[in-house]
Amino acid sequence: MKLLDIAIKDLLRSFRSAFALVFMFVIPLLTVGLFYFAFGGLGGDDGFDLAATKVQVVNLDEPGSEYGDFSAGHMLVDLLESENLSGLLEVSEASGPARARAAVDAQEAAVAVIIPADFTGAALGAGSAAVELYQDPTLTLGPGIVKSFVSQIVDGFAGAKIATGVAVEQLVEQGVSASDAEALKQEINLAYGQWATELGEAHQDGANPLLDVQSTGDAGEEGTESLTQKILSTTMVGMMIFYAFFTAANASESILREEEAGTLPRLFTTPTPQSTILGGKLLAVFVTILVQVIVLVVIAALAFGVAWGAPLPLALATLGLVVLASSFGVFLTSLLKNTKQTGIVFGGVMTVTGMVGISSVFTASVPAASDASQVAHTLSLLMPQGWALHGWRVVMDGGGVSDVLVPLAVMLALGAGFFVIGVLRFRKRFA
Amino acid sequence: MRVIDLALKDLMQTVRDWKAATFLLAMPIAFTLLFGAIFSGVGNEDDPRLPVGFLDRDGGSVLSVHLSDLLNASDAVRPVALEDEDLAEVKRKVSDEELAGAVVIPAGYTERVLAGEEARLTVIVNEASAAGTTARNGIQVAATRLRGAVQTAQLAAQRYERSSEARGVSADEAFLLETLGKVVDAWEEPPLTVSVTHSAAGDQGEASEIGTSEDDAGESNVFTQSSPAMMIQFSIAGLIGSAELLVLERKSRTMQRLLTTSISRLGIIFGHFLAILILILVQFALLIGFAQLVLGVDYMAEPLATLLMLGANALWTASLGLLVGVLAKTEEQAVMYAMILMFVLSALGGAWMPLETTSQTFQTIGHLMPTAWAMDGFKNIVARGLGLSAVMLPAGVLLAYAGVLFALALWRFRFE
Repeated sequence: MKLLDIAIKDLLRSFRSAFALVFMFVIPLLTVGLFYFAFGGLGGDDGFDLAATKVQVVNLDEPGSEYGDFSAGHMLVDLLESENLSGLLEVSEASGPARARAAVDAQEAAVAVIIPADFTGAALGAGSAAVELYQDPTLTLGPGIVKSFVSQIVDGFAGAKIATGVAVEQLVEQGVSASDAEALKQEINLAYGQWATELGEAHQDGANPLLDVQSTGDAGEEGTESLTQKILSTTMVGMMIFYAFFTAANASESILREEEAGTLPRLFTTPTPQSTILGGKLLAVFVTILVQVIVLVVIAALAFGVAWGAPLPLALATLGLVVLASSFGVFLTSLLKNTKQTGIVFGGVMTVTGMVGISSVFTASVPAASDASQVAHTLSLLMPQGWALHGWRVVMDGGGVSDVLVPLAVMLALGAGFFVIGVLRFRKRFA
Repeated sequence: MRVIDLALKDLMQTVRDWKAATFLLAMPIAFTLLFGAIFSGVGNEDDPRLPVGFLDRDGGSVLSVHLSDLLNASDAVRPVALEDEDLAEVKRKVSDEELAGAVVIPAGYTERVLAGEEARLTVIVNEASAAGTTARNGIQVAATRLRGAVQTAQLAAQRYERSSEARGVSADEAFLLETLGKVVDAWEEPPLTVSVTHSAAGDQGEASEIGTSEDDAGESNVFTQSSPAMMIQFSIAGLIGSAELLVLERKSRTMQRLLTTSISRLGIIFGHFLAILILILVQFALLIGFAQLVLGVDYMAEPLATLLMLGANALWTASLGLLVGVLAKTEEQAVMYAMILMFVLSALGGAWMPLETTSQTFQTIGHLMPTAWAMDGFKNIVARGLGLSAVMLPAGVLLAYAGVLFALALWRFRFE
């Protein structure tokens, strides 16, 4: 019973401390709230409201009279200014290339699209041409979207020209009259154009005649919405783990505080065994983390819609996290001489191990991060927080009991190691 | 002079503690390297494109070979050959993000396509991820070019058969395959291209035109985001030590003893402020030096602009540190306030992730934070290659923040 009394006393102290409550609940929820806000959580039912990319367009294209009214440059400008893309692109026409580039340099636009003078000529006749995209080097998403649309048009023209050129060359080699070359070109061009148009129309109808795409993720009805949820879920679990370790360190600090205040030495003079006193304190650390994790899991599920996974694997992941965080806090505290060392050590060690351990959280929202994710994952497993994150992500990805056993075993093994070292050091200290 | 003595006292107290030096210098350097490495995709410096699994179940057919060539030439993805793997294993690799996606050429694909029958490539991606979407788009481009090549070959064959020269003879397979091959080869130097150029600091060399949708114009330094970001974040985190000093001084009644000396109250405030300012200036200078010399982040391309940003950042951060030290009653509170500020300002200011990846609302609110202006100013120099005129506005905003925060600290400073 004395063990419980000591534990309850420490628990009351922890939960009455504003500092502790802020680190336990406010900061993790605040951080995830910021991400929820960052990725359009307040944007209503429309989801993520990615800012429209500002584009400056310069159309220098001067099609010759042989092309009639057709202008490839105008076609490209019309696409960029079309109603379909108005939500993604904010297009304005610049007076010239220098003005357009200056607008990008002044951050008035993200990218300038400069269509060369011979664009139509190169598309339909001889020669080559390049559409220049002058972009802000600090941006990737917006210029990437513009490049994607511009490339579609340019690819289409290039494909038709290549098709026409190669087909005519091959036919002439087979003996088809070269004098009919011009008529041949038009015939091939027309037929190829019809094929390309049908392909484009099929895409617009939602079909993909070329690819059978199988998604491994839970894309839901809209990929963007799931990406947002994935970012939030990943961030929530990362922040929960990060601050669970902080809380454990702070809770363990009570041993040092009582030692300095003299109450711990006085407790040791009582008939209560030392093991009971230390046990009570360690139990308080354990229960504090357990309460923290349970509260955060519930609030995150209700407020942010985080799907934590099946109950039994979730319980096991919780057990692993609580044991590992508590024991790491005890271990770290056992290394310190007094409370004066806690500020920078806890702040420094916990920040370093925490940020490395949850580094893969930061790659969740970055495009083209597949290799980055691998690097982050490998580095994170050097830290106890990394194993906790690994276990929780297995559960959140739908893993069952058998899937979570390995990370759980590692967490418990690490936890046992830290706990034993910490307790032995305290025993030696108070012997 | 007493102001300087007080500042020196604070500085000595701080630098005597090796842990503080570690926190102020080693950690921002470590995290700059960590985040720079993560976002550079270290381990694939020679080929930063997304890895896409390539599983050929069509027995090395002509279309398999041509598709592989087209994927190799892509600027977005690079094929990674998969040998004899089943679909479940391929899906696992994509789910575990070992691959950004995978393309499977089903058995009989070439035969069906050349016969004009419906045939599709199987693509496995996580469409809920940005990498998966990029991979799918890259594969789509290659597949469209491949089928365009097939269409061209078939059109040419049909035209030949209709010509008088053919005399009713069908075009043989060799003609078809030769035409197909020539079209695929022609995509190596297409007549129409998209070239991507940046301002001077974004290029390490001349912008170049490679091909449609392809660009290998100068690679931007991956540390142009993480270097200023970690520098700004850890300058705020470093305020813990400075704020704790102020708290300790008050709690230990040293403040009261100082007041019995000839130093004025304003002198005490300025002494502490000067210590925090010097510490941050030194921290910034060392980190900028490290980034310049080791990471190749060219802060010195515009030395005056960098100096202005350095000074403005140090002033607002020092003012913030003074305010934290003034408001905190205990060391714990100093840590708490500094950590909350570090996380909130870093997240909102675009230190953790570029603000362009966030929603419009977030970007607007983010720019109410001084950290966003600090990031803008430094990125104008190191990423955009702009000069003094481009950092005037960010520096001006930071100096305004410095003024407001200092005034608040002054108002709240308790001498009891």
